[in-house]
Amino acid sequence: MALRFQNIKKKFGDLTVIRDISLDVGDDDFLVLLGPSGCGKSTLLRMIAGLEEVTSGEIHLNGRQVEHLPPSDRDMAFVFQSYALYPHMTVRRNITFPLIMREHKWWFHIPLVGYLAKRRIEARPDIRELVAITAQTLGLTQVLDKHPRTLSGGQRQRVALGRAMVRQPAAFLMDEPLSNLDAKLRTAMRAEIGRLHHRLGGTFVYVTHDQVEAMTMGTRIALLRGGDIQQFGTPREIYERPANTYVARFIGTPPMNLIEAQFQGNSLRIGDRLLRLPETAPRGDDRKVWLGIRPDAISLTAADAADALPARVTLVEHAGAESLLAFDPGNLRVGHDEDGQSEIMASQSGYSDIAAGDRVGLMLDIAQASYFDIDSGLRID
Amino acid sequence: MNRSWAFHFRILAVLAVLGIAAFPVYWMAVTSMTSSEELFAGSPRLLPDPAQIGTYARALVSTPLLTWLGNSLIIALGTTALSLLLAILPAYALSRMSFRGKLLLALGLFVTQMLPEAMLVVPLYDIFSRFALLDSLTGLILANTAFAVPVVTWILKGAIDGIPTEIEEAARIDGCSRVGIVLTIVLPLIAPTLAAVTVIAFFQGWNEYVFAQTFISDESLKVASVGLASFVGELSTPMDTVTAVGLTYTLPAVVFYLLVQRYIVAGMTSGGVKG
Repeated sequence: MALRFQNIKKKFGDLTVIRDISLDVGDDDFLVLLGPSGCGKSTLLRMIAGLEEVTSGEIHLNGRQVEHLPPSDRDMAFVFQSYALYPHMTVRRNITFPLIMREHKWWFHIPLVGYLAKRRIEARPDIRELVAITAQTLGLTQVLDKHPRTLSGGQRQRVALGRAMVRQPAAFLMDEPLSNLDAKLRTAMRAEIGRLHHRLGGTFVYVTHDQVEAMTMGTRIALLRGGDIQQFGTPREIYERPANTYVARFIGTPPMNLIEAQFQGNSLRIGDRLLRLPETAPRGDDRKVWLGIRPDAISLTAADAADALPARVTLVEHAGAESLLAFDPGNLRVGHDEDGQSEIMASQSGYSDIAAGDRVGLMLDIAQASYFDIDSGLRID
Repeated sequence: MNRSWAFHFRILAVLAVLGIAAFPVYWMAVTSMTSSEELFAGSPRLLPDPAQIGTYARALVSTPLLTWLGNSLIIALGTTALSLLLAILPAYALSRMSFRGKLLLALGLFVTQMLPEAMLVVPLYDIFSRFALLDSLTGLILANTAFAVPVVTWILKGAIDGIPTEIEEAARIDGCSRVGIVLTIVLPLIAPTLAAVTVIAFFQGWNEYVFAQTFISDESLKVASVGLASFVGELSTPMDTVTAVGLTYTLPAVVFYLLVQRYIVAGMTSGGVKG
């Protein structure tokens, strides 16, 4: 295993930020630490980097225990949300800086002598070539001799990536590196980081609160909440088989609908409708559950159709390729989270002709559904 | 039209302020180049008399002006160098590290500023006499440094506070030691503030009078501020010579300021992190 956390805990005074986290991440994995603000994801990343001390537990990188090592000895590169470039250095010097530090001697601090020594390292053919290749990969060749203040946000972020790349580290750590970019640039950089991962290999650990970034970039996602891991798995597992109602509601836009239901033999009772359960679905005598159903697993039919839940449309949003519809759940009980949303959401491809106020029937494709315990919220298989 | 009015008004206002600031210097220059007889005549001269340029030559010959200026320069540069050396690391520690008694220490620095120099002269004299620091430029440098360091430390701390911690964390990950961070990252980024505190420390040493007057009795160690004051006699004060020496005393300080002030430009840290 390339990166391994073993019973990691972190406290700031009396405040516990990370409760007890153990994870194994393989070589060439792209681990995304996902979660809302304050869930401890950035703290966890900073502990991997050595910028925060670990209260207890062990971190192993490529078989080497690293949590007691200073940041520079861990062979990891860190990309900050705010880029954290050195403003007084050119792009070239910013990218070369980690390489210069590798050969740093105490006398580099002597004015002029140090200046010349650093210039000499920078001008060495092997380092020039490495910087040139890195700059070319990131499209920075034209700006190598400029200062960061003259660059755009996207270029600055690429310089930060370049500074991480030249070190050829065992692990890349990234703390919400795209959140300061505009939407279009973010999409482009997302793909770029993905390509970088393919090309360079190695372990990537990426912190974000953006589930789209997590789903599109990660090969493994750890969803955190309140210092605990809610679920650790591939994006597909997390999307299709959420471990609990929190994960179910966190992943997906709009989130998974949670509708109160009750097992009755081979059927599921929702309100006054009885739906036949597929073979693969769990059973439970008269057990009350949350039925978790993604908005795209709901189709519309006539309001009085058999097996359909009658509902009134409250909102229609046209997003171009798809339309999002919100329904008043009537006397059905629906689960919701902090946002207080208590509507059933469905998505329809294309431009929907349905208008707010219409009465329709909701057909639930419960072959794609998840079931959660009504009290604990844990998944039932 | 309105805009150009406002523009012209601003230019006028700036010129007026400039005039108020520059007039005393100009008046010194005029006085230094006016004969003693004319000085006490009814109407003052508004333009210098070129024939009186000899006052400067006389001042140079008849007084140890160059020695005084040399001593002042040694004290000012010594105070500047020592103050910066002693202030940079404490300023960094006060800004970046957390330790017990930090606030007390930070405020304690200001206690020295609360007491007037005149009050400290007697105890300092006593201490300096025990350490054989009286009648020495080193002693004066130490005394001036004690007054400059707290101010310099606080101003530097403020500047270091303004550097995003991520930049230092990035340097730590790149393999920089703490001292390395201070020297290669922090100092270049606070260069404008360093220039400003250099000016402050320099003038502390250059202008100081009370300690210089009290601690130095050797004529060859006299500094310019004390030398200048020595012209003020009980019976007569040669105004032309005083102003000539005064102007000469001002010039090196102005030159030093002009050399340093070009580094006092804002916005050095911009571009490093997303604002």
